[in-house]
Amino acid sequence: MTLYAVRDLTVRIEGRQVVSGIDFALDAGECLALVGASGSGKSQTCLAPFGLSPGRAGGSAELLGHELIGLPEKTLRGLRGREAGFIFQQPMTALAPHLKIGRQLAEAWTQAGAPRPSSTDLSETLQRVGLPRPAELLDQYPHRLSGGQRQRVMIAAAIAHRPKLLIADEPTTALDAPLRAEILDLISRLRAEQGLAMLLVSHDLGAVAAHADRILVLNEGRMVEVGRARDILEKPNEAYTKALIAASPRLSDPPPDLPATGTPLLEARRISVAFPRPGWRRGVFTAVEDAGLTLSEGEGLALIGGSGSGKSTLARAIARLGPMRAGEVSWAGAALPSRRDIRPSDRRHIQPVFQDPVASLDPHWRVGDIVAEPLAYLRPDLPVAQRKAKVTALLDEVGLPPDFVSRKPAQLSGGQAQRVAIARALIADPELLLLDEATSALDVLVAGRVLELIADLQRRRRLAILFISHDLAVARRICHRIAVMENGRIVEAGPTESVIARPEHITTRRLVDAAMKANLST
Amino acid sequence: MKALPAILALIIAAALFGPLFLPWRYDAIDWSAVRVPPLSPGHVLGTDSVGRDLFARTLVGTRVTLAVALAAALVSLMIGVGWGALAGWAGGKVDEAMMRIVDALYALPFMFVVILLMVVFGRSIVLVFIGIGAVEWLTMARVVRGQVIVLKERPFILAAEAAGAPPAGIILRHLLPNVAGIALVYLLLTVPQVVMIESFLSFLGLGVQEPLTSLGILVKDGADDMDIAPYALLLPGGVLVLLLITLTLLGERLRDRMSA
Repeated sequence: MTLYAVRDLTVRIEGRQVVSGIDFALDAGECLALVGASGSGKSQTCLAPFGLSPGRAGGSAELLGHELIGLPEKTLRGLRGREAGFIFQQPMTALAPHLKIGRQLAEAWTQAGAPRPSSTDLSETLQRVGLPRPAELLDQYPHRLSGGQRQRVMIAAAIAHRPKLLIADEPTTALDAPLRAEILDLISRLRAEQGLAMLLVSHDLGAVAAHADRILVLNEGRMVEVGRARDILEKPNEAYTKALIAASPRLSDPPPDLPATGTPLLEARRISVAFPRPGWRRGVFTAVEDAGLTLSEGEGLALIGGSGSGKSTLARAIARLGPMRAGEVSWAGAALPSRRDIRPSDRRHIQPVFQDPVASLDPHWRVGDIVAEPLAYLRPDLPVAQRKAKVTALLDEVGLPPDFVSRKPAQLSGGQAQRVAIARALIADPELLLLDEATSALDVLVAGRVLELIADLQRRRRLAILFISHDLAVARRICHRIAVMENGRIVEAGPTESVIARPEHITTRRLVDAAMKANLST
Repeated sequence: MKALPAILALIIAAALFGPLFLPWRYDAIDWSAVRVPPLSPGHVLGTDSVGRDLFARTLVGTRVTLAVALAAALVSLMIGVGWGALAGWAGGKVDEAMMRIVDALYALPFMFVVILLMVVFGRSIVLVFIGIGAVEWLTMARVVRGQVIVLKERPFILAAEAAGAPPAGIILRHLLPNVAGIALVYLLLTVPQVVMIESFLSFLGLGVQEPLTSLGILVKDGADDMDIAPYALLLPGGVLVLLLITLTLLGERLRDRMSA
């Protein structure tokens, strides 16, 4: 039985057509995944017919025989509340901060026209989404909950009134890897229990593959391809789908061919970092405790862990860009001076690239000046006349045309901005590149290309790379060794392939499981 | 709302160049026309109690008020940005100490401080600039400190540190240009406050001294003769109100645009 049918759907935002010619039908209990890069119109396709986006929908969208398009907002609101449930991307902002969890859940009921639920009903719903001690949780404010817990509460609210259709718009994008798998599993389980139909929006083909019956691939507001999940993954017809599949590395890929490593460069021993605790209570919060690592020429080392595990803090302490309480760092056998005492000549060895490409570039500077900035301090020997040539050469090396020098950061896309940041990091010819989640804020296709660029640079420049990530499959693409962090400690370390094949620590196992789940071949 | 910049430009242009085209200087006394009402021959807007042309006096008064306001606002900009940037950048105990000083100064009745300065050091127009600027920088310091703390955590600052840039270089070349926008908006919001303070001081007789005039003095003189010559109060009063509203609205609009 067809539950939700969309025919020739169009969406306009401020007169601009962003989606056109979308057709699909969803049976009861079926899951359709909408996949595409950002800006492909996948969220608009899902939300516009329900009046939940700034876009105006045209064409036809029928839910249980009711035409949604053209309905007055009031009728639409009723239908939306009763028959459909929504889960959004940002669990941090989707809950009202001043209302207790119980109150917000109860609201989901009453808005769907159901009578006010008892606290037993509410506890039961929380239990169904896998939250322990639900009675306590009902009485808490959202800020006491972690990101994963909040997303579970959102799911509980979305399914509380037993809708027929569940719409999940990038439900896991804001969460880290092990949580992603857990949340998708939970949604799948609930879907099976309640016979829900689901529209699952994602930019990550791999992640949704195991959970969707069918997949619809979107590009620039048009349908590229639609079909059974397995068929799309194994035998994609369109070039765009193939590119999407190829963009994200997977654990099932054969081990990549990594460049040979050379002499040892960096050695960090017994690093500890502590921050003073905020607020009135005295004391310190230990972010990193007794961690050590080594890196050789041309070698990639991945620091893997969930958010808050201390991996960025450790890397910044080593690169002398963050605080350090105790420990020693040596570079090529000689001790590296502390953050306060370090001279530019020592800074030259280690250069960072950060996660957010746009925030990494000073908005007031032009690309040429941004890329040239390290030269003034790290290579004072280089004549000013040669700096310009060097900037152009570097832009070329990261795949940007020379006329980019006069652009401002606001005129760059995320991928271009990250390439500029990489060019700036490389211009003083460092031996070690610190990549702090350098591809995770980028769109799938773009992230894939930036990762290829990094792998290429690693080989050509014999760069040592300290790669911070929460994604095992991405890290494996360029890293010889892996160190897994949890609660500020390195809990497991070893060669990439053997850690993935035989994870020992429970955290490592969870990470490997999560990465396997995102595997296309399963 | 679109007309705001035009109104402001008109007021400034009139204050700067208007007096050149008038037959009467602001301090010239026309013995034949003492306290004549507006639209009298030779005096479009009448004269005051000693026969000085009100139109000329209002234009010059506006000019003096604006000059005092701008100078004082610039003083507050320099102290505020310097203090705030230093506190925000240093962080920790230095920041705590510097901001507690700001809090303490906030707690002082600042009009009282200005009046004390006037009494101790005598009444000079330079002192008016300094005195007002010295109490108006507090808000600026807080705003700039907040901005610097936010900016300090941005990766481009870390990248500059990794590039070997010394702290002074980072502050001058990265932090200040990024703070400049918001600081200029608060500068524009400071100007009407300073106009108010200046007028108030002059009204009390502590600000600009005769025969030089300012909007505050004109309002005071007008108020003295309010019962027999209301126009002498209404004209400078009207200009003052218009100036305050225009500047405040313009500043608030810019601030909203910056934060949007």
